[in-house]
Amino acid sequence: MTSTLSPQAVPLIRRLLTFTWITIGIAVLVMVVVGIKYPSILVSTLATGGMWALMAGGLALVFGVMNIPNFAHGEFFMIGSLVAFTVFTPIQEELLKNPSTLLRALGPFPGMIIATLVGAILGVVMEVVLFRPLRRRSRDQWVMNTFLLTAGVSVVLVNGDQLLFGNDFRGITRYWDVPPLELLGVSVSVDRALVFVIALITIAVFSVFLRSTRMGRAMRAVSQDETGAQMAGIDLNRIFMLTLGLSCGLASLAGASLLFMFPSYPSVGVQPLYLAWYVVILAGLGNVQGAVVGAFIVALLQTLTVYFIGVGWVDVLPTAFIIFILLFKPSGLFGSEVKGVWEQ
Amino acid sequence: MLELTDLESGYELLQVLWGVNLRVEEGEFVALLGPNGAGKTTTLRTIAGLVKPIRGTVAFRGRSINGVAAHEVSRMGIGYVSENLNLFPAMSVYENLLVGAYAVRDRAQQLATMELVFELFPRLQERRNQLAGTLSGGERKMLAIGRGLMPSPALLLVDEPSLGLAPIPTLAAFEALKRLRERGVTILLVEQNVNTTLRLVDRAYVLEQGRVVLEGTGEQLLGNPHVQEAYLGI
Amino acid sequence: MGAVTTVKRAAPGLAALLGNRRLPALAFVLILLVLPLIPPFNRQDFTRYLVGAVLMAAQAVAFDFTAGYINIVNFGFAAFVGLGGYTSGLLAVHFGLSPWIGIFVGAFAAGLLGLLTGALTLRLRGIYAAVMAWFVGLALMGLVRNLADVTRGSLGLNVPLFFASADNLPYYYVILAMLFVTLLVLALVIRSHLGLAFQAIGQNVQAARASGINPTRYLVINFTLSCAFAGLLGGFYAHYYGILTPDVMLTSHTVEILAIAYIGGRGSLWGGALIAIPLGIGVELLRIQFSDLPGLHLVLYGILLILVMIYRPAGVAGFLRGLDARLRRPRAEAGATE
Repeated sequence: MTSTLSPQAVPLIRRLLTFTWITIGIAVLVMVVVGIKYPSILVSTLATGGMWALMAGGLALVFGVMNIPNFAHGEFFMIGSLVAFTVFTPIQEELLKNPSTLLRALGPFPGMIIATLVGAILGVVMEVVLFRPLRRRSRDQWVMNTFLLTAGVSVVLVNGDQLLFGNDFRGITRYWDVPPLELLGVSVSVDRALVFVIALITIAVFSVFLRSTRMGRAMRAVSQDETGAQMAGIDLNRIFMLTLGLSCGLASLAGASLLFMFPSYPSVGVQPLYLAWYVVILAGLGNVQGAVVGAFIVALLQTLTVYFIGVGWVDVLPTAFIIFILLFKPSGLFGSEVKGVWEQ
Repeated sequence: MLELTDLESGYELLQVLWGVNLRVEEGEFVALLGPNGAGKTTTLRTIAGLVKPIRGTVAFRGRSINGVAAHEVSRMGIGYVSENLNLFPAMSVYENLLVGAYAVRDRAQQLATMELVFELFPRLQERRNQLAGTLSGGERKMLAIGRGLMPSPALLLVDEPSLGLAPIPTLAAFEALKRLRERGVTILLVEQNVNTTLRLVDRAYVLEQGRVVLEGTGEQLLGNPHVQEAYLGI
Repeated sequence: MGAVTTVKRAAPGLAALLGNRRLPALAFVLILLVLPLIPPFNRQDFTRYLVGAVLMAAQAVAFDFTAGYINIVNFGFAAFVGLGGYTSGLLAVHFGLSPWIGIFVGAFAAGLLGLLTGALTLRLRGIYAAVMAWFVGLALMGLVRNLADVTRGSLGLNVPLFFASADNLPYYYVILAMLFVTLLVLALVIRSHLGLAFQAIGQNVQAARASGINPTRYLVINFTLSCAFAGLLGGFYAHYYGILTPDVMLTSHTVEILAIAYIGGRGSLWGGALIAIPLGIGVELLRIQFSDLPGLHLVLYGILLILVMIYRPAGVAGFLRGLDARLRRPRAEAGATE
C-alpha cells in the first residue's frame, strides 16, 4: 500500500515475496505448534498481536505519509488507557450497584470509543500546533527534527501525566466480568478474545479505507509523491491532520482495549512504543501492511521470550534478533528499499 | 486567460526569474522555449503554485493567483504536468488517474474523463492495472498527461513532454497535445525540441536567463536568425 | 592583552580554535574556575549543583559531536554513559581497581560497544541508526537489571569514590578538567581532516562518497569517540555519586542531554556546555522549590526542546553567533579596506 517501488522492481518483488512468504510461513507454523502444545501462549500472542498491529500500523502510517518518526506514539497508548480508566471506572461502580446484562456487555465500549476520539483529536492538535509551523519554517533535516520534536512531546506527556495524576497504577482486573470461554479445549478469557476481534475489525476497516476510499487513496498518494498529490488538487494539510488523527486514535484504542493487561500509569507507553518501533523497523519503514503482519510475528517472539526465558529478557533477545535480521536484510523483512541518508 | 506581469521568482538561495512578461489567450497553444537553466520550469512551477513569486503577478482569468496554494490552483482549473511527472509509483494506472480526479465530485464525470484519456492513450487502457512504477518512459509520460487531464483543466501546463523519449513516443506525445488542443484545451508548453514545437504552436516565447527575449508566432520564430543560430543549429 | 598573546604563542592550535571568541571563552573558563570559591557560591550544596551541571555539559558536548556533525542521534546515549559507570564501578568493587584507572577502562568499554553498534547500524539510514542505538541502550539496561547477581540490579551498586573526603570541591575540578579535555579533543578532531569528512558526510552522503570518502568508516569513528567520552563521564558519575542503578540508562536521561545539546545549539559543541551550567543549576533550584512536583524539570526541558526545534533550530549558540555578526558589522564597515 504505502511501500515504494522502483521501475526495476518486478523481479525484485518476486524475490522478496518469496522471502516474505517464507517468513510468514515459518511464523504461522510456529504459532500452530505453539498453539497445540501451549495454547495459552497462542491466545496471548493473538490478543496482544492484534493491538500491536494497530500501534505499529499507526506508526508506519505517520512515517510513510508524513515522514515523521513519532516518538510520542507510546504516549497515546498511555492517554488511551487513562481515558478508558476514567470512563470505565464509574461504569464499573454502577454495574456493582445495578447489575444488568446489557450494561455488562456494552460497558467497556464507551471508554474505548471516547479514548480513541480523544487520541485522534490530540493527534490533530499536535499536527496543527507543532508540525505545521515546523513545515512552514523549513523542510530541512525534517526527519531528525521531527524525531527530536516528538521526543520532547513524549517527555512532556509522560511527566505531565505524572504531575497531574501521580504515579499510581490505575488498572482494572477485567472488562467483561464473565467466565472464560471454552474454545477447542482451551480456556480463553473473554477480554482477550474480544480484544482480538476488535483488532481484526479495526484492521479490516482500516484496510478498506486505505484501499478503496477517496481519502484513503489520497493518503497513499501523498505518501508516494507529495507534489503529485498537490497537482491533483489534494490539500496536504488536511491529509496530514487525518493521518495523525488516525494514527494517534489507533494507539489510544490499543491502550484503552488493553487496560486489563496494562494498567494506566505515566510510563505505560514505553513498552508499546518499543514494540511498535521494533515492528516497524523489522517490517520496513513506512510499510503499513508489513507492520500489521509483522506485529503478530513480534508478539509471538515477545510471548515466547517471556514464557521460556523470562520477562527481563524481553528487551535483550529481540534486539539481538533484529540486529541479526538487519545485517542480512537492511530494508527490513518486508521493506523493499534502503537509503543511506536521513531524508528521502 | 493567463497573464504573467514582471514576474520575479526563484528559490530560497537562488532567484531565477527576473521579470517575465507572458500571455496566453483562451484556446491558444503557446510554447515557452529556451536553454537549460533559463527558468522555464520555474515559470511553470510558479504558475502552478509550487513556488511563491518574489515580485510581479500571475493572473488567471483576470485575478491574481500569487501565493495561492498548489492544490487550490489545481482546483481553479490549471493542470500541471511536471518534468519529473510526480506519478504515484506503487499505485496502478487506474488509481493514478482516479487520484487525478480527486477534486471532481461527479462520479459520472470522472468515468467519462477516464474514457477520454484511454481513448487518447490506448496503451494506458491496456496497462490499466499495472503499477505506475513499472511502466516504460513513454507510458509514464502518457499517464502523467492523462492524470493532468482528469480534472478537465481549462489550462494545461506541460513541462518537457519529449524529454528522454525516443522518436516514436515523442511523436505520440505531441500528437496527444495536438488532439487536446483540438478539443479546446489551452496549453502552455515548455520544450527543448524547438523545431517540432514551433511548427505545432500558435505562438512562442523564448526565455533566456530569466527574461523573455523573443516573442512571436511559430513561423516568425522559425525564421528568426537568433533562434535559427542558437536553437536550430542553422 | 598579555594573556591573549601568551595563549597564542603557547598553543597556536588552541588560539586558532577559539578564533575571535577568545575573550568570551577565556572569561567563561575563568568564571567556572573560580565560581565555587567566591561567596555566596562557596557552599557545598551549590558546588554539588555545579558538579552535576558540568557533568551534563560534558555529556552534551560528547552527544553533539555525533548529532551536530554527522547528523546521527544516539538515542541510547545514556546507556553508554551507564556502561562506563558500571564497568569502572564493578572493577573497583570486585577487583579493587583504582577509579582513576577504572574510568578509562569504562571509556574503552563504552567505546567498544559504540564501535560495534556503529559498525552494524551506521550503514543504514539515519533514523535506523538512531532507533537501533535506542534498542541497544534498552537491551543494555535490561541486561544490567537481569544480571543482578553481579550488578545488584535495581538495588543499587555501591561504588568507591575518588576522594576520601566528602568535600565536593575536588570533584568539581575533576569534572571541570574532564569538560575541558572533552571540548578540546573533540574540537581539535573537528578541525582536522576527520572533521571535514564528518561535515561533508553530515551534509550530503552521496557527494561525500563521490569525493572518495568512505562514509561508514568516518561515521563509525565519530560514533565510537562520542561513546568513549560518554563512558569516561559515566565513570566519573559512578565514583562521584557512589551508587549506580540501571535507571542511569533511562531514555529520559538521553533526552535531557539531547535537550541541552539542542537548546544550546546543534553543531556548536560549546553551545550545550554553555547552556548546561545555568540550566543545570536552575533545575536543581527548581527541584528544591517544587519538591512535591517530580519530573517538572523534564517537562521544562521538553517544552524548551519543542520550541527550539520549531522556532530556533540553531539554538542559543546560533543566537549568540547572530549577535556577534551584527556587532562586528559596523566595525568592519568603519575600517574596511580588505
